[in-house]
Amino acid sequence: MKRDRLLLVLYLAALVAVTLVHDPLALALGLLGLLLLAGRSAPRLLHRSLRVILVFNLAVSLGYALLAHLRGFSPWETLLLLNLRVLFLTLLTFLFISRVNLFSALDFSPTLSWLLALAYSQALSFQRAHADFRLALASRCLERPRLIDRYRASAAAAAWFMDRALATARDSALALRARGFFDA
Amino acid sequence: MHIPDGFLSPQTYLPAYALAAGLWWVAARRLRSQLDAERLPWLAAVTALAFVLMMLALPLPGGSSVHAAGIALLAVNFGIWTSFMAVSLVLAMQALLFGVGGVTALAVNALALGLAGSAAAGLAWRIFQPIHAGLALILAGWASVVVPAAIIAVVLGIQPVIAHDPTGRPLFFPFGLSVTLPALLIPHALLGLGEGLLTWLGTLTLERLRLRHVA
Repeated sequence: MKRDRLLLVLYLAALVAVTLVHDPLALALGLLGLLLLAGRSAPRLLHRSLRVILVFNLAVSLGYALLAHLRGFSPWETLLLLNLRVLFLTLLTFLFISRVNLFSALDFSPTLSWLLALAYSQALSFQRAHADFRLALASRCLERPRLIDRYRASAAAAAWFMDRALATARDSALALRARGFFDA
Repeated sequence: MHIPDGFLSPQTYLPAYALAAGLWWVAARRLRSQLDAERLPWLAAVTALAFVLMMLALPLPGGSSVHAAGIALLAVNFGIWTSFMAVSLVLAMQALLFGVGGVTALAVNALALGLAGSAAAGLAWRIFQPIHAGLALILAGWASVVVPAAIIAVVLGIQPVIAHDPTGRPLFFPFGLSVTLPALLIPHALLGLGEGLLTWLGTLTLERLRLRHVA
């Protein structure tokens, strides 16, 4: 089996395995192991992971701590387990993303691989266009736009993206047909 | 509004994957029967569209904003199954290429947002469109936000009941339905109005664009 495909299978198996572990110590040791595996990229990946989970986990943790205080039970074991598991899974995902080429891992299915590559490349191009739309609105407003104007701007962007998506689909289909993709 | 990794028990996400796999298969077959050989670039383009629609600002009073869902726009313009497939692919892309969202929660998110959200929007559009097209679009947008929020609230809220240790301590998401239902439904019922407005204005603008192309 190819390296990337093997790593994808191992990653998916690890995700399931981690959700079967309910011992905070085992999760903390596993987290330590992941950081060692990440090597020099460990601080960067840890920082990214913490940034991604911060808001949701903080909201859940503070809410649960408050509930525990009001009802008179200790929340710490649950919160430790929950936060360690979420951090472990997120760090594992970022480590996977940094080490594995997903397009190569999915090349057992040419259709899936093509679909992902086409969708991903178009999504990146739309992402840049979306940033341009945002900057265009900001640069054309001397003062803060009204609520209805901000809705109109979002709606105009949505319509433009829908129109563009259909045109892109036609262009991609023609390009693929010209290269004999549909002949196989 | 989708569930991150680590908050759902395997008792929840494994059956959800089994259900979603069956429905992805049905959706793929339906798309294949509806579209010709060009289905691949078409689905890719709609997926990229779903990706960027989820990035659009849903303006809130006071100058702030949250991300739109764009599911009603997809469901009304491209159909429920296409919308389900596109939203599922976006969630997979976000989880596996950008590290946002959750891989274990992917199936639940796809079923709630992609299928239930699209179906609710499509249903609202079909029921109310003969009465008033604008109202139907607003209701479709509202339903595409509120129905997934209700499903996610239920899925999260049952975690303490189905996954706890012998002492009753929750092992995954710790809040019950009495907390998750109001915490998710009240804000999403209000955000749904914004999503409805965006769906209506977006569809009106798209129609004007199409008319310009025809002219």
